[in-house]
Amino acid sequence: MANPEKSYEAADFGWLVAMSFVFLALVAFALWREARPKWRPIQAKFQTTLQKYAGVEKANAFHSGIKQIWIPKIQLVDRCTTCHLGYDWGTLLPATLGEPLAPHPNLPYMDKHPFQQYGCTTCHGGQGWATTADAAHGDKDWDDPMLSAKLADRCGLTRGDLMQLRCNFCHRHDVATPGMEQINLGKKLYKARKCVVCHTVEGRGGATAPELTYYGDKDSELFDFSNVTGARTLFNWNYQHLMTPDKVSPHTSMPTYNFQPAEARALTLLLLSWRRQIFPPEYVPAPIESVPTAAAAPTAAAPTAAAPGAAAPH
Amino acid sequence: MSSRAAKLWRAIAWTWSPESERESSEAIVRNLWLHWFPAKITRAAMSWNYSMWLGTVSASLFLILTITGVMLMFFYVPSTERAYGSIKDLEFAVSFGRILRNQHRWAAEGMVAVVFLHMARVFFTGSYRGSRAANWLAGVVLFLTTLLLSFTGYLLPWDQLAFWAVTVGTNIAREAPFIGGTISFLLLGGNQIDQQTLLRFYVLHVFFLPALLAVLFAYHMWRVRKDGGLAAVEAIRSERTMRPKQMPASKSYSLFGLTPGTSVQVMSSTELEEADLVTSSPNLTRRIMLVFLAVLNVTLLAAIMFNAPLEGAANAAVTPNPAKAPWYFVWLQELVASTTVHVGPLIVSGGFLGGILLPGFLLGVLAIWPWLDRSPRSAEGLWFPKSRRNQNRVFGAAIVAILILIFVGVYLRGPYWKIYWPGTPRPQTPRVF
Repeated sequence: MANPEKSYEAADFGWLVAMSFVFLALVAFALWREARPKWRPIQAKFQTTLQKYAGVEKANAFHSGIKQIWIPKIQLVDRCTTCHLGYDWGTLLPATLGEPLAPHPNLPYMDKHPFQQYGCTTCHGGQGWATTADAAHGDKDWDDPMLSAKLADRCGLTRGDLMQLRCNFCHRHDVATPGMEQINLGKKLYKARKCVVCHTVEGRGGATAPELTYYGDKDSELFDFSNVTGARTLFNWNYQHLMTPDKVSPHTSMPTYNFQPAEARALTLLLLSWRRQIFPPEYVPAPIESVPTAAAAPTAAAPTAAAPGAAAPH
Repeated sequence: MSSRAAKLWRAIAWTWSPESERESSEAIVRNLWLHWFPAKITRAAMSWNYSMWLGTVSASLFLILTITGVMLMFFYVPSTERAYGSIKDLEFAVSFGRILRNQHRWAAEGMVAVVFLHMARVFFTGSYRGSRAANWLAGVVLFLTTLLLSFTGYLLPWDQLAFWAVTVGTNIAREAPFIGGTISFLLLGGNQIDQQTLLRFYVLHVFFLPALLAVLFAYHMWRVRKDGGLAAVEAIRSERTMRPKQMPASKSYSLFGLTPGTSVQVMSSTELEEADLVTSSPNLTRRIMLVFLAVLNVTLLAAIMFNAPLEGAANAAVTPNPAKAPWYFVWLQELVASTTVHVGPLIVSGGFLGGILLPGFLLGVLAIWPWLDRSPRSAEGLWFPKSRRNQNRVFGAAIVAILILIFVGVYLRGPYWKIYWPGTPRPQTPRVF
């Protein structure tokens, strides 16, 4: 150790240079990764698709970047359109174009539910903040999963059936809504089987059974799954509970109604749709009070007529 | 290369190497940022094996946390309605937002660990004796401040993880006798976590605690200087001072030197000889750059590779099963859970014993240990000396016990706080569909 300073100098200087290069490499990698998000190639493909169907001008007007529908009024940020770019190009792009670029189908109720007022997740669910497919579509660390065909299949429903649950966030006071057959069936059964005798919804009904006004908000952790067979899902619990109440909840006073599976599914959808969703007044539709079938119980219909929009529990 | 280009290159890639010791000293003494370092530093203090540079690593992490934290402040909104959304924005829409948050998160968790390791090093080497006891005490407060900084930051993302970890933590604080309720009320700004809590934690996290940490850090460094450098010096000194030696009348540091019981001189360079020392510039400055750069690289790599956790939005109505405190407090939660006794219909809460009494006792003993330590001074500044074997064993055993409790709490505890060994299936949290 004739010159101890030299020994530090050589080793430390070498490490310092090495660490500097490691730092440069890490920064370069971070830059490189930031510059190529997964939505970038999808947007490039959209531009060429747009050029093919709508011409060069339209394609050149398209600028790459994160796209979002932002509606502060309902605290909604939907970045779905970063990839689902064709959603409002239905007049120019063919419906046969596969996802994610396919235009949104022009369904009968689309006029009343414009994209700029409702966004995507209001009807579809999913994580609007996300700009990656996994995070946007999945239910990992996100309570409100996108209602996919896969999820619907698990419940024995079609995707369209499952999505009616979300329609009923706003349409819960309709007696029956066009296009919401599952929910309509549920509402019809609720009246016909006189659920209101024991259950209270929005201040009306009996007190011998649990209150159901915001039943859809009840967390899945609060349910006892020990007597439920199959999937540990809220949907399955409710389905089995409706089919065989005393099996899922021993000692329950709820009678067995011998529902058909389709009926139990419709009622489950209705139950899960009763959530505390606060929308601005202009979003809440006037209740549709016409009863499409004569089967509706007059006891439930009478107060609806007496106090429109306020007392109708469905 | 033309002469102009060569000149330009020299201006860009300038190097500086002191020609004399005087030049080297002045580079330290006359520099605003470096003058708190001594002009010369012992070779023992430069050793990797002695200090492992854990203090420098802690300070580097604090600097990284300050820089990333200030950048995060441009995006974060401390409101219960927007906090979670602003984190989602950072994750998905802000350029480099995710990497920024990741780096802040991993540096924060790393700082808790490294500050603790630093304290363990100081204990194992008995580096808190004599005038260094004051700095040990400052270090204990710095460690607590680091824990509080991490804990207050934990709440800010406002997700389920944050909300319930802080619920567990503040419920433990509530168990303190007499003052527990008041402390909890003061901290939460009410009886439960809400907007007031978020705002309080935010203000503590971004201003008061970092300011306290910065002031304590300055004191900590000044004390190191005042005490003559790292305690590794003492090993050399005790070797040299077998014979009593008169201290030479060298320069004094006026007011800075007024420490009761010792001389007014800065205690280095009395028994130390030239061969023990190296100039701080460039040896120490280069080493600090190296340590900082290494820490920066590690945190950046962690930020690139691992995403900081973010669960669903905070929901006071739904408790995750199980709800766990942050990992550095989970050993307390484990103690609380395992000291809670059921006697027939009575439940004796373990909150006081496990949450207050035991950690309070440990902390108290830790704080006054320099004054309880009766080991010979010759053990100072050495790793695991024989004369300190017993206290090092006890301290080591306490650390191992805490680490085991942390491991059990973090990895083995599942729903209903039951033990699930690795490989055994855990009940899946039910989903909606």
